[in-house]
Amino acid sequence: MGDPLLESAARKGSAELLILAALEDGQLHGYDIAREISRKSGGLLTFHVASLYPLLYKLEDRKWIQGRWVEKAGQRRRRYYKLTAGGRKTLASQRGRWAAFVDALTKAAGLKHA
Amino acid sequence: MRKPQQVQTAQNDWAGRVRERLAAEGVTPSAHREAIDEIAEHLNDLHRVAISSGKTAAEADAEVAAELGRMGPLAIAVADRDRRQRAARDSGDWKSGLTADLRHAVRVISRERSFSAIVILTLAIGIGACTAVFSIINALLLGSLPYPYPEQLTLLWESDRDNREQTFIVAYPNYEDWKRETRSFESMGIWEYRTFNVASDQEPEQVPGLRTSSSLFTTLAVSPAMGRVFSEQEEAPGHRVAVISDSVWRMHLGGSAAAIGKQLRLNGEPFEVIGVMPPGFEFPQARTGVWVPFGTTDQDRQRGSHSFWVAARLRPDVAFDAARADVEQVGRSLQQKYEDNRDEGATLTRMSDQGVRILRTMLTALMGAVAMVLLIGCVNIANLQLGRALARRREFVVRLALGAGMGRLARQLFAESLVLALLGGMGGLLVTWAATRAADLVLAPGFRALPFRGEVPLTMDWRVLAFAMFASLACAALFGFAPLAGLRRREPQALLREGDRGSTGLANAARRVLVAVEVGLAIVVLCGAGLLIKSLAGLMQVNPGLDPRDVLTLQVSLPQDDTYGPPAREGFCADLSRSAEGLPGLRTIGAVSHLPLSGANAGRALTIEGRVAAAQDGANAGYRVTCPGYFATLGIPLIGGRDFTDRDVAKGDKVAIINRTMAERYWPAGNAIGQRFKMGALQNTNPWITVVGIAENTRHFGLDSEVRREFFMPYSQYAWPVMTVVAKTIGEPLSWQRSLKDVVRRVDPDLPVARVQSMGQIVSSSVNWRETPMRLLTGFAFIALLLASIGVYGVLAYYVSQRTREIGVRAALGASRRQLAALVIRQSLLPIVAGVLGGIAGSLASGRLLQQLLFEVKPGDPQVLGTIVAMLIGVGLLASWLPARRAAAIDPIVALRDE
Repeated sequence: MGDPLLESAARKGSAELLILAALEDGQLHGYDIAREISRKSGGLLTFHVASLYPLLYKLEDRKWIQGRWVEKAGQRRRRYYKLTAGGRKTLASQRGRWAAFVDALTKAAGLKHA
Repeated sequence: MRKPQQVQTAQNDWAGRVRERLAAEGVTPSAHREAIDEIAEHLNDLHRVAISSGKTAAEADAEVAAELGRMGPLAIAVADRDRRQRAARDSGDWKSGLTADLRHAVRVISRERSFSAIVILTLAIGIGACTAVFSIINALLLGSLPYPYPEQLTLLWESDRDNREQTFIVAYPNYEDWKRETRSFESMGIWEYRTFNVASDQEPEQVPGLRTSSSLFTTLAVSPAMGRVFSEQEEAPGHRVAVISDSVWRMHLGGSAAAIGKQLRLNGEPFEVIGVMPPGFEFPQARTGVWVPFGTTDQDRQRGSHSFWVAARLRPDVAFDAARADVEQVGRSLQQKYEDNRDEGATLTRMSDQGVRILRTMLTALMGAVAMVLLIGCVNIANLQLGRALARRREFVVRLALGAGMGRLARQLFAESLVLALLGGMGGLLVTWAATRAADLVLAPGFRALPFRGEVPLTMDWRVLAFAMFASLACAALFGFAPLAGLRRREPQALLREGDRGSTGLANAARRVLVAVEVGLAIVVLCGAGLLIKSLAGLMQVNPGLDPRDVLTLQVSLPQDDTYGPPAREGFCADLSRSAEGLPGLRTIGAVSHLPLSGANAGRALTIEGRVAAAQDGANAGYRVTCPGYFATLGIPLIGGRDFTDRDVAKGDKVAIINRTMAERYWPAGNAIGQRFKMGALQNTNPWITVVGIAENTRHFGLDSEVRREFFMPYSQYAWPVMTVVAKTIGEPLSWQRSLKDVVRRVDPDLPVARVQSMGQIVSSSVNWRETPMRLLTGFAFIALLLASIGVYGVLAYYVSQRTREIGVRAALGASRRQLAALVIRQSLLPIVAGVLGGIAGSLASGRLLQQLLFEVKPGDPQVLGTIVAMLIGVGLLASWLPARRAAAIDPIVALRDE
């Protein structure tokens, strides 16, 4: 079954942050988004097809990302996603909130000694 | 068999497997092609990477299969997303769709230039004509009187005892009684029409004016721009004060601010100017420029002397109907009280309704006619659209097949029609603009002059613009959907299979209905015009009872202090005939107070000597004053007795000439000559008048009116302040104007002359008001006929061209040319005959509206109807014969090859 850490993260909305962050440096198609997140987290965070796409649809619906079919010579057409201006703003504010949360968690739960 | 969605590099058909999974989750895969492609690519990547990382094909397959196994939530997300997207598209669609439709419409219209030009031109003419007629209605019927709270302004009338529609001008004592006894009015004013010779340093000028009560100004709620109006005290006889119009002030007093208190000579008497009215105030009619106090005389106080007009302003809390009931009640009580009132009642009308009743009928008829012309235009356009629809059939069908709904297609077509109609409407406004500028070329002189409102300008205000807009939209709705006629309720597949030359039965049926409609409408308009033409022609045949040929007329003012007293210039007639003697070009000369057919009139109540009292009621006749020579000059035969002579002097016995109708009415035994009558009641002190001559009847009130009783007095015995000099000339009367003016100048160089006209002009201007609608309706009828002919020809020619193949087959099978032509004509005639029948019914129905405008012609007049039906059937035959002949001449081989 699914990765428990990621499942709970998704429920809390952190999966959205992961996708927005993955697209920060440019446009990627679905498979590359999943691979990028997996790579950056050292394989700790991975997406299944069934959980990635509903999230992509949701973010696209909220106009934080925008998908577009791209046909490149010698390749099959693929749907690439990129951050919108709104998405970029959301990414920044979510980052701030998560940083504050992690900071609080660290202190309160004594994850690290101050 | 399913076609591969993508060229798969891997041996696995991932898209197929995603599709299967979605179907298993209850989602229809065909609706989500894009989502499936995207996911399949992802799975493909997973598989490829698994292989390249060293896994076996079976292991990679299992990995992807695991992903596929978890597809449940994805299936739901895919379906949701699709639903949301469609909803968003639909809501944004209407707005963006409309602009897209309009843009597409503009493209189509500019591509099909000749089609668009024909449509826009047709609409511009149709909408322009409609809007032009509406602008006349707008100005004349929808405008309001130029006084404050115009809806409160009313006129009071004496009326026929039993018929309030029959109204008469008023006797002064009735006015006083009404004023005292009614409860519905704020104020009430009385006036009599007068003409004034206004003399200053300028040329003497004849100016229409009034003697009026000061309360008239209160009633109208208008104050002078300078000075004051007269007071009630000044209404007593003998006060020589006058209120003048802005234009008289400018013309005769140089527009000077010091004019108040200055003297102005009116009919030779000095009057003090006490007030100048604001510019534009010309109550009650155009050019009115002088208002003097009423100065009630004993003559005015006679109940039998009906000479006055009465206006009143309703109290704000009183409704018109209640006020009329009030007036009529007072009228009934006066009936009981006074012998003189026994036959008369009283009634009330709205001031704004005065003189517009016939106008309303006329304009309604014209609006109806011009709307039909526009309708015929729309029918033609609908026809064109049908033809064009055939050419565009493939476009429509393909769009239907691609999933556009019928509604979507209708909207697109409506957008095209809308753009065309709006362009047509703009063209129409140009036409209207030109028409309102040129209106006076078509409208009879004075057509726009309404009582109490003056000359009403035709303007293009917001109501006119709104009307043009409305007409454009209505047109778009009328012809916009025609192209759909052949497509309705049919499967795109069936239509596609039929291709370009599929059966168009429905469209053909629609075309035949349109032909019938067109023919029917054209008949209605043509019949209306025909009836009016026949009326006018009939009217011109009526014998007016006088000979208008070679007669010149001019008006001259003869200032008269006491309207009813002895003439101030007793010798005027004698001077006139002496002065005319020996002048070139003039054969005979005379003069009259009220020229026939000019609209002038006066009446007197009479007492006939020896008539029993019971029969005495209501004896009356039209009153005219003449100079000797009048009857001879106008060619009115004296059928008994003699003309007046210089021996009929003021101090002698009073004498009169009466017309045939009066003689037959009061002396039926045929012994009128030598009998006596007097003006007014038996007991008054007026002298007895002896009948010395009987003149043949003239149609004084118009060619279409009844002859009424008239009596004529010599000017030397009874004066009148404005006389019309008439002279029989040698040849063209208007070329002797100078001679006739010289005659008058020799009588008195200070007498102003006005209105030099030939009698022929007067006769034709008396029927002018009939000529305007006739001319307009004839114009509309001509356009209707032209448009209908074009339309009918177009449809029939198309119909034949469509059947070329069938005709070829028939020809190949041995049908003769004549048989073929007969076949075509027979089938074409059906819609024409249907249209003719509808048109006859329509013209009978619309005839009721025209009734009031007709003279001795009835709607459904067989001659008119017959001519027009024959004309349209002729047009129809010609329209089908031309293509029939072409069809019959076709070489069967060519026709059959014509696939």
